[in-house]
Amino acid sequence: MMRRTDRYRYPIIMTLLVVLQFTVRSHLGGDRVAPDFLLLALLIYTVRAEPGKSAAAGFVLGLLRDALTPASFGAGALAHTLVGFASSWAKAVFFAEHVFVKGCLFFAGVWIRNFIVLLVSGRLQGSQAAWELLVWSPLQSLTTALVGIAMLWFLRDWLQPRRSMA
Amino acid sequence: MAIGTDRDASRGDTLLFLACVGLSVAALSLPDQWRDPLAQALRQSVLAPFLILQRQTELLAAARYRYDAVVAQRDSAALAATFLPELRSENTRLRSLLGLSAKLGGGYVSAEILHQPEPTNPLSFVVSAGKKEGVRPLSAVVSPEGLVGLVASVDEHTSVVLSWAHPEFRASAIATDGSVVGIAAPHGAEGPNVWLLELQGVLYRQQVQVGTVIVTSGLGGIFPRGIPIGTVIGPAGEEKGWGRTYLVRPAIHPAELSHVMILTSARPAGSDLRNAFTLPTDSVAPGQVPP
Repeated sequence: MMRRTDRYRYPIIMTLLVVLQFTVRSHLGGDRVAPDFLLLALLIYTVRAEPGKSAAAGFVLGLLRDALTPASFGAGALAHTLVGFASSWAKAVFFAEHVFVKGCLFFAGVWIRNFIVLLVSGRLQGSQAAWELLVWSPLQSLTTALVGIAMLWFLRDWLQPRRSMA
Repeated sequence: MAIGTDRDASRGDTLLFLACVGLSVAALSLPDQWRDPLAQALRQSVLAPFLILQRQTELLAAARYRYDAVVAQRDSAALAATFLPELRSENTRLRSLLGLSAKLGGGYVSAEILHQPEPTNPLSFVVSAGKKEGVRPLSAVVSPEGLVGLVASVDEHTSVVLSWAHPEFRASAIATDGSVVGIAAPHGAEGPNVWLLELQGVLYRQQVQVGTVIVTSGLGGIFPRGIPIGTVIGPAGEEKGWGRTYLVRPAIHPAELSHVMILTSARPAGSDLRNAFTLPTDSVAPGQVPP
């Protein structure tokens, strides 16, 4: 059952993450390591939304990001669509309401997104791609997951779905 | 937002997912002449407020550092004013400290790089200067160390830069002493020498010393002559006996940069910008034997 306050709590959190992406992120260390707040927002959204809506949200987010990195135009849209759909579907089928499990979901989401972008764009190959997938992407996934867990912890009252009493 | 009570992927969800995948594949297949206007339209509409926000944040952060520099300049200027005959030399020293050589003079726009988290970001990236600031397509993008890339497309207040690491990047190159000419291109993504450049098309009879600094030749009209591209670190292979290819360590990696300078005005014919840049410390002078 949706709380009445959910109507504005979620947009506030999503807006906060978007603002963090475009303000704070560039000052949180290396560009390839800093947490990806936009993907985190998508993953938090997909945890509670239906798979179809999650895929659509992923597509829109990915397309917008592709406009900022034209070297891989379309790859981001495909990657975010797949990650959004898979995250929502997997959450519905497998995952329990546990912060650590959600952290693993955030980690996997970022890494898989980067993997798909690299695979589909075909711009980086060989050892270059290996470095990205085995070093930089795991680090970015880790920082994103840590930020996600911290957000879930501090905003647990806002983000936790309140079930109606049977 | 509704909490999903029925979390099974329904037929509607599946259809929506497939539609999104189809649109993504269509976006991947778009030709350049459709893709670039679409990306430009997105940057100038939906993304414009966010890019402005990011640019203002970068400016704010840079302002903190610039404040210290300005205070230092003011103090230096005050000190120099007490020694008026030395004012000109003091000014020159400050300009060189700031990396702005007198030879570069005007005709450039400084811009912040709006880094994105995608792994392909070093290949092409968005900078915070556009048409309004005087940037035009195919303008050279440089840093105090040397060549960074060129402007691929221009929006109102932002531009997309193709760095030297982009597979389609090419620049006409020449050794600083003019002894060797060739084409500078990315070395590729295979093997241990990633993120290096190649000097292609060097005549077979010409040997290039390790440590030779390669600069832009000025041919083609895109890059002015004399922008450092990198330093030769060894041969990369031979082209069927007709030419040689050398590996070149780039003057600067795009990921290391936060700010760049975009050359906006056409330079007079024959102008040479070599003195405007900091040459690599391990380079050898023309005629000098490398260690």
